[in-house]
Amino acid sequence: MIYFEFAKRNLKRHTFRSVLAIVGIVIGVLAITALGILGNSVRLSASEQLHLIGNELVVYPYGDATISEDHLEQIEKVAGEAIPVMSGVDKVIFGDETALVAVYGLRSEDIPKLLENADGQYLKHGSSNCMVGSRLAADYELNVGERATLKAQKPRIVGILEERGIGFDINPDNAIIISDKLFTALYNASDYNLVVVRVEDLEELEATREEIEARLNKKEQVVTVMEMKMIVEGIKSLFDTISLFLLGIGSISLVVAGVSILNVMMMSTVERTKEIGVMRAIGTSRSGILQMFLFESLILGAVGGVLGALFGFGIGYLVDVLILEEASYLFTTSSIAYIFLGVGFGIGTSVISGLYPAWRASKLKPIEALRYE
Amino acid sequence: MIVVELVEVTKIYELPRGSVKVLDNVSVCIEAGDFISIMGPSGSGKTTLLNIIGCLDTPTSGRVMIGNEDVSGLGDEELTKIRRDKIGFVFQQFNLIPTLTAVENIAYPLRLKGVSEHEERSKALLRSIGLAEELGENKPNELSGGEQQRVAIARALANEPETILADEPTGNLDSKTSTDIMELLKETNERGTTIIVVTHDPQVAAYTRRTFRLADGRIEGTA
Repeated sequence: MIYFEFAKRNLKRHTFRSVLAIVGIVIGVLAITALGILGNSVRLSASEQLHLIGNELVVYPYGDATISEDHLEQIEKVAGEAIPVMSGVDKVIFGDETALVAVYGLRSEDIPKLLENADGQYLKHGSSNCMVGSRLAADYELNVGERATLKAQKPRIVGILEERGIGFDINPDNAIIISDKLFTALYNASDYNLVVVRVEDLEELEATREEIEARLNKKEQVVTVMEMKMIVEGIKSLFDTISLFLLGIGSISLVVAGVSILNVMMMSTVERTKEIGVMRAIGTSRSGILQMFLFESLILGAVGGVLGALFGFGIGYLVDVLILEEASYLFTTSSIAYIFLGVGFGIGTSVISGLYPAWRASKLKPIEALRYE
Repeated sequence: MIVVELVEVTKIYELPRGSVKVLDNVSVCIEAGDFISIMGPSGSGKTTLLNIIGCLDTPTSGRVMIGNEDVSGLGDEELTKIRRDKIGFVFQQFNLIPTLTAVENIAYPLRLKGVSEHEERSKALLRSIGLAEELGENKPNELSGGEQQRVAIARALANEPETILADEPTGNLDSKTSTDIMELLKETNERGTTIIVVTHDPQVAAYTRRTFRLADGRIEGTA
């Protein structure tokens, strides 16, 4: 390719200027890839920590209201099955240490549906023992068989739960789980703080939610029903917005780089006017001149793009390892996609910036170009 | 055989202060193998005439024949091909492409045309203009004016054109080098290539067989 060769040599003629133009593209592509990988890694890390179930509805009481046994029955009529949850916060003593933790009161048959056991057993029906969350067990070095002190009771720890992450229904990692009977006995509570409903068919989610709301909120608003799916989507769209914002910042630097390439290429066409005239006079076609300049901007974009992507990957790696402490986010398809996106944008910006100067050069009239001093 | 024929060619430039008639009803006929100089004062239309013959410019009216092809109505693409294949250009300022070596400059028109043995042919041309082979790898700025002009002549000859157009080919050279260049052009002409030279210099004109004298856009006389 003779025009590619020309392009290479012309760029070498003004090495410093070419390097500056490349630096612009490098910064732009670096911004896009690094910020893209950062946004993506944060999203991945957050979704790993969130415990979200798409087919779950959570019924919360509205305002000061609580969910009574009567309400629960109505929910069960609509949804078939519901998991009522009593919750509170209390001081619990482990050995000689006191901890302020969440206390959940669950029907023993519901516990395996909602939570996973890592060690020991689930609570038996009517049991006055307890289970503890993974974080709590780790922080206070709790083992199955030990006792906790809760008010006047001393429930024995029969099971330690699997880590679950942050949830919108319950957060058992730092909590103690007791039976609903014990909870009622300890706190003199009869109403529920929330009810979890699982829907078999995702299509029915919306309808179930509406029916629960219609039945319970007939006279006055008693409950709010949250769809997990909505929360999942809300979080997803939040992260999409963050990613888009970061991408926008990256794009601004690419636009600046594009302008600098446009400038370099315009200077180059003006400086080489006479040379273009000579080339045209001895038989170079318009498209030949066009190709030569487009190759120049392509080379600037490709070199800048690849360097920028390498640096961006490096910065992404540092951020993941140092801040998120997890390098695996870097090697996901969605992170790698930002590298290609960055290189693509870099080359695209450069070639688009080169279009006008190249077109202008190709349109020069040979005699006028030859006369140019 | 006629290589270039101009029939009643007029060229008018539209300038802000009015139109200027640079060529006024010029008719010339140039036979293959001729060696012609065009002389005349500045602004007499010499270069415009050369540009029209060289398909770099188009006449306002009249007909231009290159070989037996009427080029008057052709578009940019066709004119570019004619310049590449049928005409060789030699300029006052040599105008070699600065990023290419001497040999690459000679090879360039061959590569444009898609000649595969461009390397051998350009090296042979380099020898034929009397330049040492090692100079072939030099860039134009590493060559003297005379050497550059030799390379430019070799480049003009690369596609074996019927006609070579030279605009003040010795204008930037000392008298000794000018003689060498004119000798080279003379040799080229003796091998059959038609040469048209625009010049101020009577010594250059002395090498040619015929001289057209231009004044105010008209050919005043031939000698």
